[in-house]
Amino acid sequence: LSSTDRRRAASRRITSRTTGLAAIVAGLALAAAGCGSSSGSAGAAKPATDAGTATTVSIKLTPQGCAPKPARITAGQVQFNVVNQDAGAVSEAELRTSDLAKILGEQENLTPGLSGSFSLTIQPGSYKINCPGAAQPHWTLTVGGKASGPAWPSNPQLAAAVSGYSAYISQNTASLVTSTQQMCAAVDARNLSQAELLYPRARVFYERIEPVAEVWGNLDTDIDGRWENPVTVQSQFMGFHRIEQLMWADNTLTGASQLCAGLVKNEKQLLALVRSAQYNPLEMASGATDLINEAATSKIDGEEERYSNTDLPVFQANVDGAMEVITLLQPYLRQKDPGLLATIRQRDAAITAQLVHYQASPGYDGTGYVEYSTVLAAQRRQLSGTVNAFAEALSKVSLQVS
Amino acid sequence: MSAPETTPGPPGSAPGPQPGPSRRRLLTGAGAAGAGVVAGGLAGYFGRGAADQATTTAGTGGVAGDSDQTVPFYGQHQAGIATAAQDRLAFGSLTVVDGTSRADLRDLLRQWTQAAAAMTRGALVGQVTEPDAPPVDTGEAIGSPVSRLTITLGYGPALFDRRFGLSGRKPAELAQLPPLPNENLDPASSGGDLCLQACSDDPLVAFHAVRNLARLGIGAVEHNWMELGFGKTSSTATAQATPRNLLGFKDGTRNIKAEQAQLMDDYVWAGAESDQSWLRGGSYLVARKIRMFIENWDRDYLQDQENVIGRSKVAGAPLSGGTEFTAPDFATAAIPARAHIRLASHEHNGGTRILRRGYSYTDGIDPAAGTLLGGLFFIAYMKSPRQFIKLQQSLAADALNEYTQHVGSAVFACPPGLRPGQHWGDGLFA
Repeated sequence: LSSTDRRRAASRRITSRTTGLAAIVAGLALAAAGCGSSSGSAGAAKPATDAGTATTVSIKLTPQGCAPKPARITAGQVQFNVVNQDAGAVSEAELRTSDLAKILGEQENLTPGLSGSFSLTIQPGSYKINCPGAAQPHWTLTVGGKASGPAWPSNPQLAAAVSGYSAYISQNTASLVTSTQQMCAAVDARNLSQAELLYPRARVFYERIEPVAEVWGNLDTDIDGRWENPVTVQSQFMGFHRIEQLMWADNTLTGASQLCAGLVKNEKQLLALVRSAQYNPLEMASGATDLINEAATSKIDGEEERYSNTDLPVFQANVDGAMEVITLLQPYLRQKDPGLLATIRQRDAAITAQLVHYQASPGYDGTGYVEYSTVLAAQRRQLSGTVNAFAEALSKVSLQVS
Repeated sequence: MSAPETTPGPPGSAPGPQPGPSRRRLLTGAGAAGAGVVAGGLAGYFGRGAADQATTTAGTGGVAGDSDQTVPFYGQHQAGIATAAQDRLAFGSLTVVDGTSRADLRDLLRQWTQAAAAMTRGALVGQVTEPDAPPVDTGEAIGSPVSRLTITLGYGPALFDRRFGLSGRKPAELAQLPPLPNENLDPASSGGDLCLQACSDDPLVAFHAVRNLARLGIGAVEHNWMELGFGKTSSTATAQATPRNLLGFKDGTRNIKAEQAQLMDDYVWAGAESDQSWLRGGSYLVARKIRMFIENWDRDYLQDQENVIGRSKVAGAPLSGGTEFTAPDFATAAIPARAHIRLASHEHNGGTRILRRGYSYTDGIDPAAGTLLGGLFFIAYMKSPRQFIKLQQSLAADALNEYTQHVGSAVFACPPGLRPGQHWGDGLFA
């Protein structure tokens, strides 16, 4: 198929969407924090107060300790406002399980004069506020009332999975920025062949995390939109695929530098957003399904990389992003639904077994795969069936983790 | 070939409510008279049909159930717009072929009028018994009750080019739609010089209507594209239960209902504001073939599906509470900012409304992927295409766009209804 043929193909997918993951809260997130996440907000002296109806617990860091006030609260959404007025040796407060084994939320790097906050939905039980460096580092917080809100934060396996997901998203987004910058350096140096080589390498990072990016309105379309997208969101055709079109269809880098700079700018904005976003297991599961939906609707027919024919590495990236979710959830799923886990592993293996046929070294454009235009219609259809079966199994995870 | 009278009819079938022979009556009661009755009856239809018909406003038609029921062809407005939505659709877009003259076109519209009047009261379009000639009526609907068949004609923008001397009759607003959000249009499913919307509770009757009208026009018109709708997705009368689309959600809860005469006048029927007098009493038809990425939708968890639409799936109640017909409370965040019903609502669009009359369609399986090709064949009637344009522009942020794409588009101007003795095209060519 030529690019033109593919452009005319009837089945097209629009990339702008906010559905599956609409519940992700950006910015001053109030959802539950996982282990080690840098949730919450830090700022000068004044505690954040926009907690809505949440219970508020004040924690003053002092050389003596970090007594929560009140020390007895009711289960539900809780905001912890942490302030350090003059405690030079103490700079953080953590909410931990009563055995201190697990951090549920924290506010770090609060030097004297700074304050910050973090929020989460907390279940009934006994907890510890921990402030390393104080004379008494452990303080008890007692939570009464009935369990409310999501129960997953108190499940160590799910909390760890969410924390790992958060890290995976942030890492891949950071790699997206640096790899795009490398591509842009080649663009700026007017080195077309080098820029073409670096294009799919940058794309891969985006295609592992795309459902998260799609939460922020136009940002996904600005980064990943197709020519038919602009009227969708009244924005411009200006991201990866505009550069792809210039390089492969128009065989030029004229105008690409400016586009590349804009792309990097948008990616940096995305990086800031994903670093402050909060996730939950339901969104993780739904995101995994969305990634394979992506593969099914925009990779199989060669729509997404229509100019470069580098569909196979980004197809692999979709699968990798989905399987990362499964790997993170595996300790939990192994107990909760081992049959489903086995089915997912089996169907993932079926995809891998097919992709092997298209692997090459160094491959087309250095991607490790053949050019997608060489994959025949019957092969694509076989791939499609396997992908659909994989996505169908993935879609059953949401119930197990909710 | 067997003669039609040997075709078994439904046992004990009663005559339809319309006077004059119906396809069924011919077949079940005319055995002794044989072919002659069929031929004589046909001659009679074309000569007398008008007198049998209601001469005032076409009613909203009955609700499905009585398969012998007919909807009057003649009336102030064309049937098939305010008519309570039938279960099935056959929609034909046709192109007038090169070499067809203005007189040819006008003649075809006259023939179509007669044939449509006949078919909508359950008669054949022509003889089926002449041994030495191909049957005029293609015959597949013989024995099928008319099942509220309506046939609605529309004129596409291209009809008003220079070919037929109609450029002076072109309504200013009759033009190809501008680029709109969430579309990637396939020319093979878009546009057309003429359209024929045939609706019936019997799919064969609807298909037969479009097939036979197109056949009558061979030499003057050609099929451009055709779509079959297998399930209505919008109720257009208060007595109808709200049907469901392929997303599994009720569709059309807040549609304009035919009984709401003021809303029909305000939003659907072209009136004095129209720049072309021939269009007054007619309406603009916007057709959009909307593919649904069904497999992806089916994999979405229920709560997200409901957030995308803004209604509960089973009950159809707005997420702001109540039951299906409770007005959505858009002041609450319970209906998400990008929920389909919020962005499509008249409250969100300066009061803009349209009469939706769409059908679920399927084109079978995508040969490239093995996935279902299907969705909503959206049809809506309105006073001005600007109404649709405004609504669709509002849907740029629709959460549902993730699961749908508009792949076909057409706009037609549907003339007003006819009085007996009048023909389609009379107003246009006057």
